[in-house]
Amino acid sequence: MTVATPRRFVRADGPDKVTGSGRYTADLTFTGMLAAKFRYAEIAHGRITRLDTTAAQAISGVFAVITDADVPDVRFGPFVADRTLFARDVVRFEGEIVAAVAASTPEIAARAAAAIIVEYEPLPLVTDLEDALTAGASLVHEHWAVYGSADPVVRDRNDASFSSITTGDVDAGMAAADLVIESRFVADGCHAVPIEPRAVVAQWEGNKVTIWTSTQVPFDARAGVCETLEMPASRVRIIVPHLGGGFGGKCGFHYEAHVAALARVAKRPVRLVFSRREEFLAPDRRREGMVIDIRTGVRHDGTITARTGWMAMDNGAYTADAGFFPQLAAMHIAGPYKIPNVSVEAHLVYTNHQPSGSVRAPTAPQACWALESHTDEVAAAVGMDPVAFRKLNAVDTGDVGPSGQTYGEIGVQQCITEATRLVGYGETPLPHDEAIGVAIGWWPSFAVPSGAYIKLDGDGSGQIITGAQECGTGAVMTLRQLAADELGMNPEDFELVYQDTSVAPYDMGATGSQTLFNNGRAVVAAAGQIAEQLRNLAAEFFEASAADIVLADGGAYVAGSPVATVSIAELAGIAASGELLIGHGSGTPPATPQLVGSSCVGDLGMAAFVAPQFSCHAVRIRLDRDTGVVRVLEVAAAHDSGTIINELGALGQVEGGVMMGIGQALTEGTVYDDEGRQRNAGLLEYKLQTCADSPVIRTHFVQIVTPDAGPRGAKGLAEAPNVATAAAIANAIAKLVGTPVRRLPMTPERVWEALQS
Amino acid sequence: MSFAIATTLDEALAALAAGARPIAGGSDLVVAARHGKAPLPQSLIAIHRLGELTEITESVDGLRIGALVTHATLMAHPMIGRAYSGLADASALVGSPSTRNVGTIGGNVMNASPAMDTGAPLLVLEAAAELQSALGHRLVPLGELWTGPGRTTAAADELCVALVLPFRRARSGSAYVRLEYRRAMEIAVVGAAAAVVLQADGTVRSVAVALTAVAPTIVAVGGLGPLVGAHPNDEATLGAISAAASAQASPISDVRASDRYRRHCVGVMARRAFEAAAHRAAGETIVVPVNRAYGIGAAR
Repeated sequence: MTVATPRRFVRADGPDKVTGSGRYTADLTFTGMLAAKFRYAEIAHGRITRLDTTAAQAISGVFAVITDADVPDVRFGPFVADRTLFARDVVRFEGEIVAAVAASTPEIAARAAAAIIVEYEPLPLVTDLEDALTAGASLVHEHWAVYGSADPVVRDRNDASFSSITTGDVDAGMAAADLVIESRFVADGCHAVPIEPRAVVAQWEGNKVTIWTSTQVPFDARAGVCETLEMPASRVRIIVPHLGGGFGGKCGFHYEAHVAALARVAKRPVRLVFSRREEFLAPDRRREGMVIDIRTGVRHDGTITARTGWMAMDNGAYTADAGFFPQLAAMHIAGPYKIPNVSVEAHLVYTNHQPSGSVRAPTAPQACWALESHTDEVAAAVGMDPVAFRKLNAVDTGDVGPSGQTYGEIGVQQCITEATRLVGYGETPLPHDEAIGVAIGWWPSFAVPSGAYIKLDGDGSGQIITGAQECGTGAVMTLRQLAADELGMNPEDFELVYQDTSVAPYDMGATGSQTLFNNGRAVVAAAGQIAEQLRNLAAEFFEASAADIVLADGGAYVAGSPVATVSIAELAGIAASGELLIGHGSGTPPATPQLVGSSCVGDLGMAAFVAPQFSCHAVRIRLDRDTGVVRVLEVAAAHDSGTIINELGALGQVEGGVMMGIGQALTEGTVYDDEGRQRNAGLLEYKLQTCADSPVIRTHFVQIVTPDAGPRGAKGLAEAPNVATAAAIANAIAKLVGTPVRRLPMTPERVWEALQS
Repeated sequence: MSFAIATTLDEALAALAAGARPIAGGSDLVVAARHGKAPLPQSLIAIHRLGELTEITESVDGLRIGALVTHATLMAHPMIGRAYSGLADASALVGSPSTRNVGTIGGNVMNASPAMDTGAPLLVLEAAAELQSALGHRLVPLGELWTGPGRTTAAADELCVALVLPFRRARSGSAYVRLEYRRAMEIAVVGAAAAVVLQADGTVRSVAVALTAVAPTIVAVGGLGPLVGAHPNDEATLGAISAAASAQASPISDVRASDRYRRHCVGVMARRAFEAAAHRAAGETIVVPVNRAYGIGAAR
């Protein structure tokens, strides 16, 4: 099936954002508004022996000081109910909130927060992932066994969620191999680092609260407020002004309830604005550290016969949304390869670190980095070119993957071909300090419920009222295109009304690359209802059959007579005095594929990939051997993400993902002190890549119209570009160093150390 | 807290004598306060409107750079790019375009950070700080100015009004190279500047090397006298520079790098700075900053 050339359009919210006319949460002010500040634990593990807020309460200008005693007795968490709004008896990481203050100015609030007296009895630190899993390890949660948890979650002491994928017989597979290659990798944790530090404003009117907040998931945020403050959804309204990026870090439920609780006690609107340091330390969303062992059996001809994997992943002090990480990570260690015998086990381990959670393609960049570094080692062991090795073993259309899923038409082989072609792999000899590394990756699309309304007003202009949340990817912006195409109108004819839980139907939010995939389906369905109304109106107008009416170019005509048209505006005018033009849509999410021949412990639905996305990144780097500094010169990124709706937006997603991947590869990693506290919680010492570091990025989309996917055969796209970059860089570095750098990020000093050995 | 804007130098000096601290671009002072490193002083006197401190004056004796000259000006100034290239290299690496537009040379020098980029080139170019107070003024060679991180020998009532750099003779070249993990918004992990003067026959007439971020202050490398008469491109010469720099560094381990790695890399930086300075002294043009053209991350 051929694919229409994708369109290129500038996103509707772009001008507001670049000219500064757009408003973000921290820009909002209300009469009588107070400033919020939190008092944090500041130590990583301790029992609270004294908590006294008297002195803070006494400071002039302080309107409220609240602690665990002032909110309902609720433990929450999407997978394991291990969290409370405020620390209760024990603090388990340095950024845990002990108390919150609302005062007339941020300075007074800060002074009052500092005046709260908290004393601790230190408890043993749990920071090493492997030690934490041993029988005698200190527990992060003494009473872990009594916590409620989602049914499939398998837990044991510090192991907050265990998952395994088993296919075939690995012992037999290893026995059938000519060579068995073992590798070990360790990845440091890192951060999402959105430009906008988070902000929350809460205002009560009677028993109802409106919360403006910088969240990626307004409905999830509402659910969190409802659960922890024990309120029905009907009395909580979440509104998101423009969101200054999220990268997953603003998924979940964050501080909306704290600020609402403060505002209720203070009887005033309250605004919380995070500093950059708080943004690093407090949220329960950052990319988790990992320890990864991989073992692969291979025949001399390059065929993989078996693979085993073992992973320990840093959950941090609370489980947040990381419960599904073990299974998803295990899929990335199994990888997009034809392997008949697979056994991967993954543990999500409690520590006294900041909690982990979804950051753009959670678990994938680190796991892919380990797997693809290992894959180059396996290829080298059998004397094969790493690209040829991947082409031989990667899954293709009709193949069965490592979890027993049979794939429809997929484009991983084309991705390998295109990325290596774009970077000129193997074509010309490179200078002695340059190398090209190649890696492949995959990522699921997520099929979930979603809803939207569309209305056309009397002048023919429309509004899309959607539950979808824009976090910067531009996915919401493509909805106008989808609606316009259904109705033969222009995207500019539609305004978006979005990011308000009391106005629009449910959507999961800007998470899991699901916006276009699911809300696109809802918008197409809603537009379809209006299209039917318009065709009926036009049929009456032309005295023709509705089935013969064509909607195109802003008007309607009878098929075969495009000269006689009636404009949509005119039809909308007719409708305005009769039955109004209102559509609503949700549609049915695509079904989950069947798995055959595999078994999964701790199955949270991540072993079956709906509309799987594939990618290959090929990267040319230069290494300064004297210092270990690596410069990425060129990245070729080929992606099978199905149909591309807006090419401009899609390219932006790939380029952003690549830049984030370079940061993860080379400079971004959390460094801890001996007390379990972050040493680089700021933008001076936590080094993001800058525009000046950007390489040439060449992107190719392998467009396969995918059935059982999103609208027009589209898959997700926002996370997939963040999967394979670090792995490709690692493989280029390994070629120049002579051995993989087995620690992520591959900092100059680590590369230099590898060069010394 | 009080904040006043001086319209004359005398006003500024009087304010300093009364206990105020000077502020120009604020790129160190304000950032440090926001990060909780040091609170803003109780009394600030803004000097950014003192036009006489923004001038660069060339004379037969050399160059006088007003304290308020920004990094953006320094990196693009033709005379500095030609005769004092190391200072241009360093200025071009500071922060981002917006940092360079507000950050001043006087502020950079008086902030006395051991990681400051302009310090090492100023030291090898034999710069002196011109300090003025209500009572008079004096010239302090930079080697006698810095005493530790954030500490100088300047009195509280003294304002740095200019940096004075002696004339550079023919066949001179200088360069500044730093180890950086990214190409913007970076702070030197380590760095080195070199100033070289060649004889007519191409051998070394004089050499000075200074190191960044490996000691409590910017430090000069001693004991390079035996290199006089050596050929600058000889491996022995380059190895001696590198070894001396590594040996004389006293780096710390912190979140940016270990002491071991810093000690090694400062030798690499010193060698590269010397190489670039010698090439410039020999008449070769290497574009500013050397970091982009030579060594790390060089474009080809």
